[in-house]
Amino acid sequence: MGLEVIADRRADSRTDAENATERMSAGNVEADHILGGGFPANSINIIMGHPGSGKTIFAEQLIFHNAGDDRPILYLTTLSEPLSKVVRYLQGFQFFDEEKLGTQVIYDDVGPQLAKDGAAALVPLLENAIETLSPKVIVIDSFKAVHDLAPSVTERRQMVYAMTALLTAFGTTAFLLGEYTEEDILLYPEFAVADGIVELSRLRLGNRDERYFRVYKLRGSHYLEGAHAFRITDSGLDIYPRLVSPRMPAGYEPATERVSIGVPGLDEMLDGGVWRGTTTLLAGPSGAGKTTIGLQFAVEGAAQGEPTLYMNFQENPSQLIRTIRSLGVDLEHAQSRGLDLVYASPVELQIDSIIVDMFRRIQERGVRRLVVDAIGDLASAATDPQRLHDYLYALVQHFAVSNVTSILNFETLGNQISGEGVQNAMSYLSDNVLLLTVDGEERTRRRIRVLKTRGSAHDPIIREVEITAAGLSVIG
Amino acid sequence: MPSQDPESSTILIAERDQSVRKLQELFLKRAGFTVDFADDGREALERAVLDPPALVITEILIPTLDGLALCRRLREDPRTRGTPIIVFSILAASQRASEAGATAFLRKPLVDSIFVAAVNDLIAAQPTKAVEEQWASR
Repeated sequence: MGLEVIADRRADSRTDAENATERMSAGNVEADHILGGGFPANSINIIMGHPGSGKTIFAEQLIFHNAGDDRPILYLTTLSEPLSKVVRYLQGFQFFDEEKLGTQVIYDDVGPQLAKDGAAALVPLLENAIETLSPKVIVIDSFKAVHDLAPSVTERRQMVYAMTALLTAFGTTAFLLGEYTEEDILLYPEFAVADGIVELSRLRLGNRDERYFRVYKLRGSHYLEGAHAFRITDSGLDIYPRLVSPRMPAGYEPATERVSIGVPGLDEMLDGGVWRGTTTLLAGPSGAGKTTIGLQFAVEGAAQGEPTLYMNFQENPSQLIRTIRSLGVDLEHAQSRGLDLVYASPVELQIDSIIVDMFRRIQERGVRRLVVDAIGDLASAATDPQRLHDYLYALVQHFAVSNVTSILNFETLGNQISGEGVQNAMSYLSDNVLLLTVDGEERTRRRIRVLKTRGSAHDPIIREVEITAAGLSVIG
Repeated sequence: MPSQDPESSTILIAERDQSVRKLQELFLKRAGFTVDFADDGREALERAVLDPPALVITEILIPTLDGLALCRRLREDPRTRGTPIIVFSILAASQRASEAGATAFLRKPLVDSIFVAAVNDLIAAQPTKAVEEQWASR
C-alpha cells in the first residue's frame, strides 16, 4: 500500500498497472525466475507437499531473505511440528540469521491454543497478531493440520472464509504450508481462494530421489510451467528451472563463419568446417574415435582462444587428462587459453541440474565451443522421454541463439544410427550429423561419413580415418 | 500526530467490506480519531454535507454513488469543497482519483503504519476551509 498524495504529485513514476503487480521475492533467484519475479505481494499462497518435501525450508529461506527493519515476519507453527524442532533444524542453514530471530522474524507456536479452542481460534489469533505486530508476512505451518480441529466441513469453510477476508483486507503476504496432495486441491476450500499454489514433490528412483518444484497457480502473473528439479542444500533449495526453447531475437541471423573441427581432413569433408552456432551429432560405436574428435575440437577452440567447455560423463577426470596428454596436448596451456573440463558421474546424473550447470558455465564464461560426451548419458538420466526430447530441442535452439558451436557425442550399438528414440531425435534436431564406424577382422578399420550438413555442401564419400599419437585424421 | 486534537477529528469512511472496516476502525481509534461509517456513496455524501468531517476516506467500489462520483460531488458542494479525501481502493486508479478531486490515493490492502500516517498527514497539513468555517461558527 503506497500513499500517493495527488495534490503535490509525490507519487513515483510507476503506472497504476505496475503498482498492481508488486512482487515479493521467494529469496531464491531461480524460484523468482519461475514465478515471473516472485510471489504477488499481499497475496495468499499455498506451499504443498508431502512431509520432507522441503516446504518449511522453502518458507524459511523466503522469510529470512525478506526480513528487514520495517515490519516483522510472523511464522506460526500449529500442530504438525513443535516449534523447538523447527527452530533447531533451521540453524543449520546458511540463510539463518540469529540477529533477526525474535525481532524481524518472530516464531510462535499456536498449536496449544488451537488444540484447546479449535480451528475457530485461528482468526482471532491472526487479528491479535495484526493488531500487535503488523506482520508483512505470515506463515502458517501447517495450515492443513488446523483443518483437523474443525468439527465439520461448514466450520472449516467458515474459518477459511474469515481468514481470507482478514488476510485480504490487511497488507500482508501469507503462506499456508500443508501436507496436501493433488487430490486435496478439489477438496480443501483454501485452494479456491489462494492466489498462488506451489507444490514440492519427491520421486524415488532406485537409490536416489528426484525433487520437483511446480507452480500450479499464480494469479495475475505468468510463470514457467512444468516440473523444475531441485536439491536441498545448506543454502536452502537449489532449483534448476526447466529449460525451455529461447525466443529467437528479432534480429537473429545464423552466423556465416566457419569453425574448424581441428581434425585434419575433416574440415574439407565439411566444405571448410561447420557453421558457427551449429550443433553436430557425432555418432558411432564404442572405440570409433568420438571422444578423440571431441577433444581435438575442444583443443582447437582453446588454440583459437575461444572459451571452450567439455562436459564429460564418460571418463573420470584422471582418465580424461591421460587421454588428452596422450594426444600430445599441453593441458595446462589449453586450460589457460580457455578450455574447461567438467566431469559429472553418470550414476548421479540429474538432467536438470546438468543442463542448468552447463548454461551457467556457458553464460559466465562466454563459451563459444561445447562438447557433450556423451548425450546418451543424459538420455539415461532422464526419467521422461518427452522431457528429454524437449530438453534436447531447447538445447540446440539455445546454442544457435548464443552462437555456441557444439559437438554432441552419441554412442551407437553398431555402425548405424537407430531410426528410433534419442538417436533419431538428435539426428533431425542437429544441424550436422557425422557417423563413425568400426569394422575389420585382422585390422581395425575406422571410417567416417557425413550424413547431413544443414545449409552447406559436404563430401558424400565414406572416408577412412586413423588414430595415432597425434589424434584422429582422415586418411582416404 | 495531527496538530489538532484527534478526538475532535471525525473521519467519515465509505466502505462496505466488513474486514476492512474492522481494521480501519481498530487502527484509527487507536490513533485517537473518531470514526463514522457509511454503507454507500449517497449516504456518505448526505452525512458529509450535513456535518463536514475532518477527512473522508472512500472505496471506489461502493453502491448508489461510487467513490469517484462521491469525490466529484463533495468538490462541487461549497460545504465540503476543502475537505481532504483519501480514495482507498482495491483498484489501481490514482489517476482517476486525482481527476475526480481526491487529495490522496491509497491502494488496498491496509497497512496500519501507512494508513494512519496518511490520515495524520492530511489532517495535520490541511486544516481545510470547510473545517475552519465550522470552527469559526462554534
